[in-house]
Amino acid sequence: MAKVYDAGVKDYRETYWMPDYTPKETDILACFKVTPQDGVPREELAAAVAAESSTGTWTTVWTDLLTDLDYYKGRCYAIEDVPGDDTCFYAFIAYPIDLFEEGSVVNIMTSLVGNVFGFKALRALRLEDIRFPIAYVMTCNGPPQGIQLERDILNKYGRPLLGCTIKPKLGLSAKNYGRACYEGLRGGLDFTKDDENVNSQPFMRWRARFDFVQEAIEKAEAETGERKGHYLNVTAPTSDEMMKRAEYAKEIGSPIIMHDYITGGWTANTQLAQWCQDNGMLLHIHRAMHAVLDRNPHHGIHFRVLTKILRLSGGDHLHSGTVVGKLEGDRDATLGWIDIMRDSYIKEDRSRGIFFDQDWGAMPGVIPVASGGIHVWHMPALVNIFGDDSCLQFGGGTLGHPWGNAAGAAANRVAVEACVEARNIGRELEKEGKDILTTAAKHSPELAIAMETWKEIKFEFDTVDKIDVAHK
Amino acid sequence: MAKPNIYVGINNEINGGMTSIGKIIRDAWVFGLIDESETCEGWNFAGVDALLQKVNNEWDKYGCLASHLPPELREKHFKIHDIAIQKAKAVGWSGDSETDDEDE
Repeated sequence: MAKVYDAGVKDYRETYWMPDYTPKETDILACFKVTPQDGVPREELAAAVAAESSTGTWTTVWTDLLTDLDYYKGRCYAIEDVPGDDTCFYAFIAYPIDLFEEGSVVNIMTSLVGNVFGFKALRALRLEDIRFPIAYVMTCNGPPQGIQLERDILNKYGRPLLGCTIKPKLGLSAKNYGRACYEGLRGGLDFTKDDENVNSQPFMRWRARFDFVQEAIEKAEAETGERKGHYLNVTAPTSDEMMKRAEYAKEIGSPIIMHDYITGGWTANTQLAQWCQDNGMLLHIHRAMHAVLDRNPHHGIHFRVLTKILRLSGGDHLHSGTVVGKLEGDRDATLGWIDIMRDSYIKEDRSRGIFFDQDWGAMPGVIPVASGGIHVWHMPALVNIFGDDSCLQFGGGTLGHPWGNAAGAAANRVAVEACVEARNIGRELEKEGKDILTTAAKHSPELAIAMETWKEIKFEFDTVDKIDVAHK
Repeated sequence: MAKPNIYVGINNEINGGMTSIGKIIRDAWVFGLIDESETCEGWNFAGVDALLQKVNNEWDKYGCLASHLPPELREKHFKIHDIAIQKAKAVGWSGDSETDDEDE
């Protein structure tokens, strides 16, 4: 007599909780922070997360037997306490590589953070980290040019790059906007940037902006003898329109364009990054909407995951937070995802919130962009924290200079060069920052005024999302 | 609310005059494009925009930097802007307000 199977619900743990499983080199690994509803056992819930983020949504009950479940299923192989928080636990899940389409962060994230986040037995769920096996990394295109090639294109070495977002956001005509870019670049910036809200609104359509900004770049380049750029924001309502704007930016000679990879979407971003690689264009990535996903310590997606997604999808720059200044960012956690952006191999390091070793192979790195709420007094700390392969972006800290945009740019350029020079001869930047800047300001009235303007500002808000630490 | 088309004058500005238009007017004083007693009160914005183009033309001669100005102009620039900064600080302006609205 044939074996009979009962239709009905069986415990997830029977199929998806495998504490004896040793993850394979080729598995995609994920760490979730799981907050259960009252009374739900850990193993059952962890197994449910494994199921509902892998095969659980497309196989049910006895029909599991009609697919090769043992091959395709996610396996929860470990559970750990969360240091300092008894309300939740970490669940480590391994997914077979063949569960996902090659080169598609979209497919991976659709599974891993798809339906499972609405699962009733969960009070909250956060994807803390993913380990992408090198076999999967090699199917992705990655950053269009990478750090070294960007430096070669710009012919700029041995210091952080300097940028500035052009403000006020919604009030400048295209011509005056271009002028503000010119002044910043002429004063010493390497890049200016479209605000993320500037796409192609009626007050300044994209083509007019691109034309006036390119004129500004060429004028600044001719006068300074340096390569300059402006992140022309090609984020658009459709990917066809996005590509049209990118093509035009290339046609007029812009070296770099910009995209908002979360609001614009990962499919569009991957398409744009591949086009940039094929066309020798640099790609600056803004992260509008990230805090919706990454700020709650118990629910959402940690920014280190969003960082890995971007490196695979493609981008040469990514906003990283500043550590210092007004905006959110735990220092250790930020240093962790900065390593994830730039290094070729990152070791597991729980003190930085890194749960897995990550091997990027030969995939190029991404330049972290420190932007928002920073000014010249932060420069010593920024150079110390971010090092040379970074872009330090002073918006109000440039345009708010009482002498104007070019003066603000010059102040930041003198400050960064003074800090790099001091560092290179072995001085401690964060301890000696005041002396280093004061000495430099003797030769730069623009820096002296900037230091006078911002000297009394202190930003000391505690961060909301911190590294989990023991309290027991 | 109807969009204003008349400028209030640098002495009646927000932030003690530490604004984009305030900077245009102070630089116009530096370059002698308008008299230092001219506050531009009552000007329409086309007039301010025209003044901006003249100021830009002057700055272009010196690479947009005060440190590139000839000594006499540099001194005049420093004096005019120093008075403005002190005046703005006296009414509560600081660099803090300039970094309030930032993209991260």
